[in-house]
Amino acid sequence: MDEITLEAAPVLGGANLEISGNRIVERDDLAIVSIATPLDGQDALAEALRNGWSLDVPDPTRSTLSGEVRAIRTSPDQMLLIFPHATPDAEATVQDRLAGTGYTTDQTDSWIVLEVAGPDTLSAMERVCPLDVPSFEIGGTGRTVMEHMGAMAIRTGDDSFLLLSASSSAVSFLHAVETSYRNVT
Amino acid sequence: MTQAMRIEGGMVDRERTLAFSWNGRWMTGYQGDTLASALLANGERLVGRSFKYHRPRGIFSSGSEEPSALVQLRDGAAQEPNTRATTVELFDGLYATSQNHRGPLAFDLMAVNDLLSPFLAAGFYYKTFMWPKAFWERVYEPLIRASAGLGRLSMQPDPDAYDHGFLHCDLLVIGAGPAGLSAALAASRSGLRVILVDEDFVPGGRLSAETHEVGGQAGADWVAEATAELAANGNVRLMTRTTAFGAFDHGIYGAIERRTDHLVDAEDRPRQVLWRIYTRRALLAAGATERSMAFGNNDRPGIMLAGAVRAYVNRFGVAPGRRVAVFTNNDDGLRTADDLSDKGIEITAVVDARQGDVVEDTIGRRGIRAIRLGDGRRIDADCLAVSGGWSPNVHLTCHHRGRPVWNAEVVGFVPGGELPPGMSVAGAANGTMTLAATIREGHGAGAEIAGDLGAGGSPGTPVEAVDESFAAAPFWHVTGLRNRAWVDLQNDVTTKDVRQSHQEGFRSVEHLKRYTTLGMATDQGRTANVLGLALMAEAAGKSIEETGTTIFRPPYTPVAIGAFGGRARGEHFRPHRLTPSHKWAEENGADFVEAGMWLRAQWFKKPGEKGWRDSVDREASQVRKSVGICDVTTLGKIDIQGRDAAEFLNRVYANAFLKLPVGKVRYGLMLREDGICYDDGTTARLSESHFVMTTTTANAVLVFRNLEFARQCLWPDLDVHLISTTDGWAQFAIAGPNSRALLAKVVDDLDLSNDAFPFMACAKCSVFGGTPARLFRISFSGELAYEIAVPARFGDSMIRALMKTGEEFDAVPYGTEALGVLRIEKGHVAGNEITGQTTARMLGLGSMLSSSKDAIGLRLSKRDAMNADDGMRLAGFRPVDRSVILTAGAHFLNPGDPADMAHDQGWMTSVAYSPELGISVGLGFLKRGTERMGETVRAYSPVRDQDVLVEVCSPHHVDPDGVRQRG
Repeated sequence: MDEITLEAAPVLGGANLEISGNRIVERDDLAIVSIATPLDGQDALAEALRNGWSLDVPDPTRSTLSGEVRAIRTSPDQMLLIFPHATPDAEATVQDRLAGTGYTTDQTDSWIVLEVAGPDTLSAMERVCPLDVPSFEIGGTGRTVMEHMGAMAIRTGDDSFLLLSASSSAVSFLHAVETSYRNVT
Repeated sequence: MTQAMRIEGGMVDRERTLAFSWNGRWMTGYQGDTLASALLANGERLVGRSFKYHRPRGIFSSGSEEPSALVQLRDGAAQEPNTRATTVELFDGLYATSQNHRGPLAFDLMAVNDLLSPFLAAGFYYKTFMWPKAFWERVYEPLIRASAGLGRLSMQPDPDAYDHGFLHCDLLVIGAGPAGLSAALAASRSGLRVILVDEDFVPGGRLSAETHEVGGQAGADWVAEATAELAANGNVRLMTRTTAFGAFDHGIYGAIERRTDHLVDAEDRPRQVLWRIYTRRALLAAGATERSMAFGNNDRPGIMLAGAVRAYVNRFGVAPGRRVAVFTNNDDGLRTADDLSDKGIEITAVVDARQGDVVEDTIGRRGIRAIRLGDGRRIDADCLAVSGGWSPNVHLTCHHRGRPVWNAEVVGFVPGGELPPGMSVAGAANGTMTLAATIREGHGAGAEIAGDLGAGGSPGTPVEAVDESFAAAPFWHVTGLRNRAWVDLQNDVTTKDVRQSHQEGFRSVEHLKRYTTLGMATDQGRTANVLGLALMAEAAGKSIEETGTTIFRPPYTPVAIGAFGGRARGEHFRPHRLTPSHKWAEENGADFVEAGMWLRAQWFKKPGEKGWRDSVDREASQVRKSVGICDVTTLGKIDIQGRDAAEFLNRVYANAFLKLPVGKVRYGLMLREDGICYDDGTTARLSESHFVMTTTTANAVLVFRNLEFARQCLWPDLDVHLISTTDGWAQFAIAGPNSRALLAKVVDDLDLSNDAFPFMACAKCSVFGGTPARLFRISFSGELAYEIAVPARFGDSMIRALMKTGEEFDAVPYGTEALGVLRIEKGHVAGNEITGQTTARMLGLGSMLSSSKDAIGLRLSKRDAMNADDGMRLAGFRPVDRSVILTAGAHFLNPGDPADMAHDQGWMTSVAYSPELGISVGLGFLKRGTERMGETVRAYSPVRDQDVLVEVCSPHHVDPDGVRQRG
């Protein structure tokens, strides 16, 4: 039998849509690793984050950015680290730098990440996102439910967001976001 | 047609002529017309037939309160019945027809009902149609249903698109009349983020309909100036064609925006958008609605509210009649005569009830021709403008059960009781009935709210205006009438109906409403309620205040069901979750079943297979014979880490987990606080501080939520952390005697021998030359079996590789049906058995309950009643006649006992045809089941018309000693 090697496939086949000057792109180049803060281990983890990535621990509803690495606060003792990384060993690379100061879980395959951008983005977000995203500062984040799907929105620019939702419902999520753009353009 | 009733002036754009079809005839109107104003411009007074008596009806109002001019808009699938012509914005190509008549509108055959009116009074249907009893369903009800109702549905799916959305603001102002605009100006100047909504397609409210001056200029000009300032402020969203229809919890308002109803071609964009508006504060500035008075034949076409007459003249440039009479009980109504005279329209009479003059009757059939006064004089009039006073639009103040209170000065109900939190009211909606006062109140409210919310800007000063005279006196109905007088035009409720209701004992306003239907349907009695209450109060000898009022609930005006559905229709009714092997499964004949939001392959059809049983039998057989592969990604997976993770698990599982060795998996049982089982699954220990829990597909979210609650609230002192990894791993069960041989070709460098990797072992590993994976030796089928997981991105590639590698073993994919067959054969419990009503002992898992620790539910699981020896116990069942196919849900009875609950012995929970045994087998709960092996009981299912004898046996129909899974 021929040698078999498994191939990674983006959930949405690398979706890249243009809708009246707006764009929806599947960011399958990003790895996501959750970092949980050990009980009474906040200081050590904060130091490791600073030393490892020059990142501050984000406050609730905020994200911090250093280069291409972004930390998003998701719960009282948990954050997500999002960064470009192609191979399925993101958790190990994060843990290498944390050296046990945080509990890590690879979340890359749990999420679909859509980058949405364009002049109609805020109008489109009104149709799908219950959060007050127009009032988000750049870097602001929020967890919510979009079309019955748990989701996270991170404002990356005046007219751009990263949207995260469960990878299993990625097709439905893309449809929800795409429909929102089509309904306002 | 030439728009014969069009006069000078108004806000319509005479450069833009629009053609529309009314009852098959093409007419013209102008941009800025409503369908109602365009019909009036074309001399169309008769536009519909009344609900019960099929009386000729015309246009009564100029707004959303319209009770009479209901039409069918559009045709074919897009047809919309009961549309108020007064709110339909005219567009080129509009197609409308009248409704509720048989034959032509002018010669409605059902008008015979009017002659039968003595037999059709309020509540007649409660007293008639009583005999013979059998006629009710077969004759009377179909007859009544055919006669009742107004418009007709197309009976086709709605072809239009709808959407919903979410908006946020500091202040929502409801109504863009003088009060609302003034409030929005003050608030936005102060720096608040404001949303201003109005149901009309132009802002301005009554200013569009009146000749008032504001700020030294025409009211409409000030409206244009104000809206321009609001637009320039940048923090205001002015939404016309938008009705705030409900005040909900936490400052959330529902609003419906009509986006494309006024366009010829919506270009596939949503017709309407249902907005959920999150507010810090809201200001209701919804104005007031004029009401009529009751006098003889007060429902004829051409009889209109005086304010509406002014609106048609001043805003639309349309004369509702050439010779107009006015009947009023207030100064506001008198302005009508002045406005019409200014336009050169003849005023034939001004009848002021305050002077003791009344209109007693009207003459005409398809439209009014004359009025007859109380003194017997007949005066010609082709239009009668009636003003019985104004009722503040308090509806939204009632949505949290606030009850309006009577204000004798206003002669109407004003907001009372507790308003929805965060709501204020200003302007006519608050009982402030004159222009300058309304502007000041709106401005003051906007400024005050801005101050409350800490906005620092200056609200400026309110614009100057003059208070017109407003002197109203209560006058409700003319006495001593020979002819019927209508209270509620939409429901054909007359003064006689209201009095009769009282006579028959319906003394509460709520009873009055339900007995007479007063105030129901599309207009919600906005022009009728107060009149009805006044009549009822009079009949009871009470004041209106003592009589009280009904209150309102959402929606303020009708909202299309399609708008509530929004975009959630068809295949997008709800999201779907797909497993990583979904595409491959589609390519390989999978038939999918919904499991929650998941789509799971339930079997894979092969060529030549005639039904699902063929596929399922083949799949289950092949698993027992060689090897099968099943996508089990949908099982919940929870990553549990922390120094205290083992202790945590030991507290949430009923069985022991503290000493589970690294590299091992354990089956665990979770109890609710009350000791009842609610989920089961396996948990693997990957390191001292790292576990991976699996849950059932159905309970994945529930278990995670409960664990999170336990972690955060019950034991915050434990160092334990949770995160779902359900979607992160593509997981496949590989089951059957050849599973080890197959996996040996898949897994890199891991000794899979029984000694090195025994039953309930687990390991991190890699597959196909380096892809990271996790391997668990667990079995749901009872066979030698494993579950292997790879990161989801490799899932599609993994299933293809597994199937390719498995070719030499004739490996088959199997779906959830075969999975079910295998587990029933093996006697493993699942959702059919763990129902939320069953205990560990019932399930045969009583020995798992630890007696040496405490865990959630353990203490209450020890209650005597839950451990009685004669309780239900899980058992297996086989038909005595081996050819019988068993049915789930059958109840067990001892042979000879009657089939009633007193003799109930239990019930069948799961059944399957066992390809392994060649018979139908079942699992179920039977009283003292474990002690009754070999007995014969009846399995009785009246629902499925089955009554068969079954033999009680071990639930483990296949391999009861577990040799295979440990082999």
